[in-house]
Amino acid sequence: MKKWQIFKQGVLEEMPLQLGVFPFGIIYGVMAIESGLTFLQALLMSSIIFGGASQIAFVQLLSNSTPFGVIVTTVGAINSRHLLYSISMVEYLNKLSVSWRVMLAYLLTDEAYAVSIRKFINHSDNSILHYHLLGSGITLFVSWQISTLSGVLIGNDLPEFLDLQFIIPLTFIAIIIPMIKSKSTFLTVIVAGIAALVFKNLDINFWIILSGLFGILVGMFSSRLDKKL
Amino acid sequence: MTWSLIVLCGVITFLIRFIPLSGIISSDLPLFLKQSFKYIPLAVLTPIIVSDLSIIENKNFLLIDNFKLYSALIAIFVALIWNNVLATISIGMASFLIMSNF
Repeated sequence: MKKWQIFKQGVLEEMPLQLGVFPFGIIYGVMAIESGLTFLQALLMSSIIFGGASQIAFVQLLSNSTPFGVIVTTVGAINSRHLLYSISMVEYLNKLSVSWRVMLAYLLTDEAYAVSIRKFINHSDNSILHYHLLGSGITLFVSWQISTLSGVLIGNDLPEFLDLQFIIPLTFIAIIIPMIKSKSTFLTVIVAGIAALVFKNLDINFWIILSGLFGILVGMFSSRLDKKL
Repeated sequence: MTWSLIVLCGVITFLIRFIPLSGIISSDLPLFLKQSFKYIPLAVLTPIIVSDLSIIENKNFLLIDNFKLYSALIAIFVALIWNNVLATISIGMASFLIMSNF
């Protein structure tokens, strides 16, 4: 497969998720303006931070006059899960130039990672797979900027399609279910899911990464039980 | 000041994503650590899914009339049977829209 074909595949596989991402971007745009950010601040935050949930938390806290230290910590906590994404990408991307790694790290968000990691795992011998992540990441980036702009311009007149956001967890389901191929991967999902319910309910800031770490540990310890399901 | 805050949050977010890829993690990691990487997508995407299903809202369990949860279970079933992303999303979303509107 040629580079541009892999890039195109990344773009096409990322496309369905945009039905869910777009309303999310609009909500952020509306909230950003309501929180008191200027048009330019609201818009450029989507390129400077480029992290949906953390941007929404940012503007919510800002509108409640939260101390800046708390805002920075919260954004860091919400995006801390990307550290794990990046760690899992090391074996596939560590031979690339620094400029490539910088660009791909910038684009490494939930939706791009979810789509591309499957490709990386299933075709780990292919040396140009980073074009897939480039395609999925750029697609998400463009969609996020346009939806932010739409939200900033629409203001309070929110359209009635916000339930479409449900496409995002459905896509993640479609991606992770085929990855459950053994007892240890099954236990990882169960434990991470239960831990998420508990930690989120306890209002722990780092609940995603904490739940994830529990899941990974259980997966590692139970790997000796593995026989293909 | 708001600009500085936005830029600071942007730098922190970028560093979180870049530090492991910066070269500080050797590719000669112990085998058990490398094997743990395969659990990362499952371990991190599952909490996001669980959170989006609104199983707990305001410290209350929502298991009855939780259309997102029901639709997710249908989507899991579809993914298990067909292993097809588009079918999973379409049937899951259609179930959700039908349950919420009728």
